[in-house]
Amino acid sequence: MVKNKKAQLKIQQMAFMLIAVTLFFVLIGLFITGIVFSGLKKSSEVLEEENAMLLVSELSNSPEFSCGEAFRYGKTNCVDSDKIMILRNMNEYADFWDVAAIEIRKIYPAYERETECSEENYPDCNVMEIYSKSVKKGAYNSNFVSLCRKEKNAETGEIYDKCELAKLLVSYEQK
Amino acid sequence: MLKRGYLQISFGWMFAIIVGIFILFLAIFLATRIISTEEASLDATTTKKIEILLNPLETSFGEEKTNTLTLPSGTRINNKCDNGGSFGNQWISISQKVFGKYSETGVNVNFENKYIFSDEYVEGKKFYLHSRTFEIPFKVADLIFLTSEEYCFLDVPEEIINGIPLQDNIITDREKCQPKSIMVCFAGGSNCDITVNYGRGYVEKNNERLYFSGNLLYGAIFSSPEIYECQIKRLMQRTQHLALLYYDKSYFISEKCQTDFKEDLLALGNDAKTFEDSSDLDRIYLLSETILEKNERGECQLW
Repeated sequence: MVKNKKAQLKIQQMAFMLIAVTLFFVLIGLFITGIVFSGLKKSSEVLEEENAMLLVSELSNSPEFSCGEAFRYGKTNCVDSDKIMILRNMNEYADFWDVAAIEIRKIYPAYERETECSEENYPDCNVMEIYSKSVKKGAYNSNFVSLCRKEKNAETGEIYDKCELAKLLVSYEQK
Repeated sequence: MLKRGYLQISFGWMFAIIVGIFILFLAIFLATRIISTEEASLDATTTKKIEILLNPLETSFGEEKTNTLTLPSGTRINNKCDNGGSFGNQWISISQKVFGKYSETGVNVNFENKYIFSDEYVEGKKFYLHSRTFEIPFKVADLIFLTSEEYCFLDVPEEIINGIPLQDNIITDREKCQPKSIMVCFAGGSNCDITVNYGRGYVEKNNERLYFSGNLLYGAIFSSPEIYECQIKRLMQRTQHLALLYYDKSYFISEKCQTDFKEDLLALGNDAKTFEDSSDLDRIYLLSETILEKNERGECQLW
């Protein structure tokens, strides 16, 4: 009777031990998975940032932004501001460049305060928000561009190209 | 007393063996899962990196760019395309060679603003990327040609010989062609894998006829018929939106200067919307030439 009880106790001890060992390994597994996935999240964010960085330097060449030959000299890093005013109302482009936000800010001539462009105040404004997703945004990457438009001389009626210095800004989604 | 031979194992041992086996299997299972997750994550990271590397291939007016991509191990880049949504989707995924077999991770990365012309998959260690502008008549996008195999261009017509992409895997000298190269014949002949009828504007491969114009010639040569037709349709989806953008721009600047081809832009947008396959390209190009002419002689150019 006493021998039987001792054996039962040993089995119980072993069972508890095995459960503890299993739990220990499961916890280690969970810990490793946590580390691996946090690394993945970080690397995905780094890739998004890298994408935004490279995109901003090439975005001005894409047909939706570029001046093409509409202005006197075919320019690289030239953005057609009249096109941008149309583009900002085209919702189809919301996911097209796979970034969280794109905007253009005029730098020169300098404005006293920030004025968002609209049909009513264009071209007397300095911020053109092309789109902005409602997500947590990372730091903005920027590139200098010339922002050009057609202007008409009020006195002579002559049409001329007006180009200003601006910054094209792209932000990525922070996860 | 009759003694039968049997294995005497106590309950404790039996219990330990069963649980031990369970723990071992659990450990093996977890290790395999971690390895496959790592493999998938590596493939996804490389795929995303390839997408990022495609950004500098964006060209400005009349430009073309060539780049190479060398990966440490044998890799297969899978190219998929669909026409869903406003602009369609470009999908790529990669599989790395492990023990002589390509892994099947199923991790696809999609983006709307790139157009890759290649076979369904391209494999090797060194990949060639070449980009050219697609204009109809305004710039629509950059076409990216992805290749890894060697191509031998035979009897290339004089008018395009200087425009052939300058990359190591495209040979125009018959003498230097390797037997395993893909033969692209511009004047017919035997042993041709791809036949180009430059005058009539079509390429014949896999018993299918792919129509082209301008830089799409290389798209037709380097892509599988399915990818080519799908990418052209995607280009037309973007053409439709750009035509609308220029149409709106012509109204937007109408106080400063007038354009007389607003209706043509609308027609181009509609033609692009109803585009079925590459045989419709002729119709679109005809209209685009009229628009180009009107844009060039106008008071203000729209693009």
